[in-house]
Amino acid sequence: MQKRRINLSVISLLEKYAIFFVLIGLIILFSILSPYFLTVQNLTNVFVQQSYVIIAAVGLSFVMISGGMDLSIGYQMSLTGVSTAVFMKWMNIPVPTAIVLGLLLGILLGLFNGIAAITLKVHPLIVTLGTMTVFQGLSYIVSKQSVIMNLDPSFKYIGQGYLFGFLPVSVVLMILVVSFASFILRKTFVGRYVYALGGNEEASHLAGINVVRTKLLVFGLCGFFVALSSMVLFARSGSAASTTGPGTEFTCMTAAVLGGISFKGGEGTMWGLVTGVLILGILSNGMQLVGMGTYAQYIVKGFVLLAAVGFDTFQKSSSRRTKKAMAV
Amino acid sequence: MDEVILSLRNITKTYPGVKALDNVSLDFRKGEVHALLGENGAGKSTLIKVISGAISPDSGEIIVNGQSHSQFNPHVAKQNGIEVIYQEFNLISSLSAAENISLGEEPGRFVNYKLMNQKAVEIFEQMNISIDPNALIRDLPCSQQQIVEIAKAVSRKARILIMDEPSAPLSVSEVAKMFDIVRKFRADGVTVIYISHRMDEIFEIADRVSVMRDGCYVDTVEISKTSRKELIQLMVGRDLKESYPSHKPHTNEVALEVKNICGKRSYDISFSVFKGEILGVAGLVGAGRTEMARLIYGADKLQSGHIFVNGKAVNIRLPSDAIHAGVGLIPEDRKQQGCFLDMTIAWNMTIANIRKLLKGIVIDRSRERKQAETYTNLLGIKTPSIWQKVKNLSGGNQQKVVLAKTLATHSNVLIFDEPTRGIDVGAKQEIYTLMCDLADKGSGMIMITSDMEELLGMSDRIIVLAEGKLAGTLEKAEFSQSRILELAAGYN
Repeated sequence: MQKRRINLSVISLLEKYAIFFVLIGLIILFSILSPYFLTVQNLTNVFVQQSYVIIAAVGLSFVMISGGMDLSIGYQMSLTGVSTAVFMKWMNIPVPTAIVLGLLLGILLGLFNGIAAITLKVHPLIVTLGTMTVFQGLSYIVSKQSVIMNLDPSFKYIGQGYLFGFLPVSVVLMILVVSFASFILRKTFVGRYVYALGGNEEASHLAGINVVRTKLLVFGLCGFFVALSSMVLFARSGSAASTTGPGTEFTCMTAAVLGGISFKGGEGTMWGLVTGVLILGILSNGMQLVGMGTYAQYIVKGFVLLAAVGFDTFQKSSSRRTKKAMAV
Repeated sequence: MDEVILSLRNITKTYPGVKALDNVSLDFRKGEVHALLGENGAGKSTLIKVISGAISPDSGEIIVNGQSHSQFNPHVAKQNGIEVIYQEFNLISSLSAAENISLGEEPGRFVNYKLMNQKAVEIFEQMNISIDPNALIRDLPCSQQQIVEIAKAVSRKARILIMDEPSAPLSVSEVAKMFDIVRKFRADGVTVIYISHRMDEIFEIADRVSVMRDGCYVDTVEISKTSRKELIQLMVGRDLKESYPSHKPHTNEVALEVKNICGKRSYDISFSVFKGEILGVAGLVGAGRTEMARLIYGADKLQSGHIFVNGKAVNIRLPSDAIHAGVGLIPEDRKQQGCFLDMTIAWNMTIANIRKLLKGIVIDRSRERKQAETYTNLLGIKTPSIWQKVKNLSGGNQQKVVLAKTLATHSNVLIFDEPTRGIDVGAKQEIYTLMCDLADKGSGMIMITSDMEELLGMSDRIIVLAEGKLAGTLEKAEFSQSRILELAAGYN
């Protein structure tokens, strides 16, 4: 009996951190395949490239954990990014003020999604399918379909600069965002409310949780993080165009699902999310180094997602079986 | 007309912990309207499911058209002309009336709309009603949907038609229309098994009535030779089996008073609960008891009326306002409304008062653990750890977790909605004891229950709701099952 329990706990440990072992496995695999992979330079690159994805994915995870969905984050990035650039370059607003305005705009877009979902009583997936198109139109109008070049160096610092000469600013921002989100979700009552809402909205309502307020908060936070993510992305590229941003929503969703954030809501962790993003990032990077083409990479990424989801379902049904056995 | 078309012999069906049907034998004759009568949970629904083949009985036989079956399935039932009209319609709301009627039996490979509409029109004419066969179901009022449901059964050439509470969604004139159709069926030799709580309907339409109680068949009587009084006697004739813990007599201080509250399915309800009192709320399914509870708790919108807690007027717009005022609700459906199944026991127990467990801005994990341990011990929840997920607990233990969550908010008015539904006898007793302890400590309690024994055994006073209105109040000395049923059925 004792021995069996130990076996069970080893298995459950493996199950719980499976996604982490996948990441380690990938790192080992690519280290063998490419001598360049496991260098400080390359790994720093991966982190810098993925920092904006992680920041946006953190925003999306708040919405997803609360049981919602946001398809519009790609165009939110596009809109807040070009708006910030327009503030700086065309309206000559000082860089810090422009950044603050951009972040406020992000919160506003998020709240807009939240209010629409609440008042229309429609699932956020559908609502953001609509607002996505609205944001797309707005973004092209704001940017006048042009590429705004030569962004201010002090703005570009967010995406290209280094702290103390070796720490990429974008990575520092990413670490701050992940730590902050993790703190909110794990340590505060707000975090509890977010999980509660995703776990069972009706029970949350009856437990005295203000469902409307919590939803607004979640969407507002999402908008904020997505705007911040757009700053990092636009600052890295040094120019602003409405075509930058869209597509991120699917990368974020894939990473979130890989990292164990359920579409149904109510579960998920920040370390899981980061692991999910890094798996995708390392797959791209590693396959690039090995010399696989972009399109082959898509195929591999797609299958990795399917495998992860399949494994998750399998694990849930098997763990139910073990629990039952334990209960007996 | 005394030819027996359907005969049930010694049907028994057991669910874990309950005998839903106990050795039931019953005959249905050709061309009669046969009413089934019984309290909530008497076994009527289970019996219909057996007849329609939706469930198979543990033992016994079903004789239909002279053939004996020990196993029955929906297909065989349909072959023998058995059709059921359930309380919830089985119509597809995005299809037309005609399409619904022909659903599942379109002739040929392609849909022939002309033929389909023709068939619908014929049936509607035969039933002497006018419904546009092209109208979509979702555009039709409830009553006409009901008629489409009946038309569907007619088109299948039903020989035995089971109607489960068909009048529930209908208005008085619509019921009259439906009765005309039922009478027409009877004249054509169709057997109608009619289930209703409304006694006047049974007297109007039925030829014979069979009474069930606690899964047992009681008696069948000719409607012309019986009275309401006799039927109620048949329904209730039973002694209290279980013993209930007692508590101190209540105080004269009012814990909760509601005045003229109106809202969804609640009309002008006024009553009060004293500190230390358990007020039972009786009523048939659909009488608006849960709706009333949700109204008081702020879960649904209060349209008008006033609520006073401890003598003070309170404005309750959301459940958080109710909790703040000291009103707690233990909801009816613990899985859908009470628990967060994927979360741990400790998490569930603290979610309603988590803001009281903060240290600065972070949750104080040690107080969270302490609270969870305290309630786990207090309520005797059987679990290896408070970090166990709630979905792994038994129903009784899940219910205790829901209780703990509400108790932690220190409400002194507690509304229990079906507190012991679907839990085992031991856990039931523990919950009764807990309720008495709370009463002794001065809580005012409202207990909504469909379990007659529990209602009579636990309550100090009973209010009865019927059709969303307060039908009457009974003091302890006036408690009787027949009186409660009379009030619940709408007779004063």
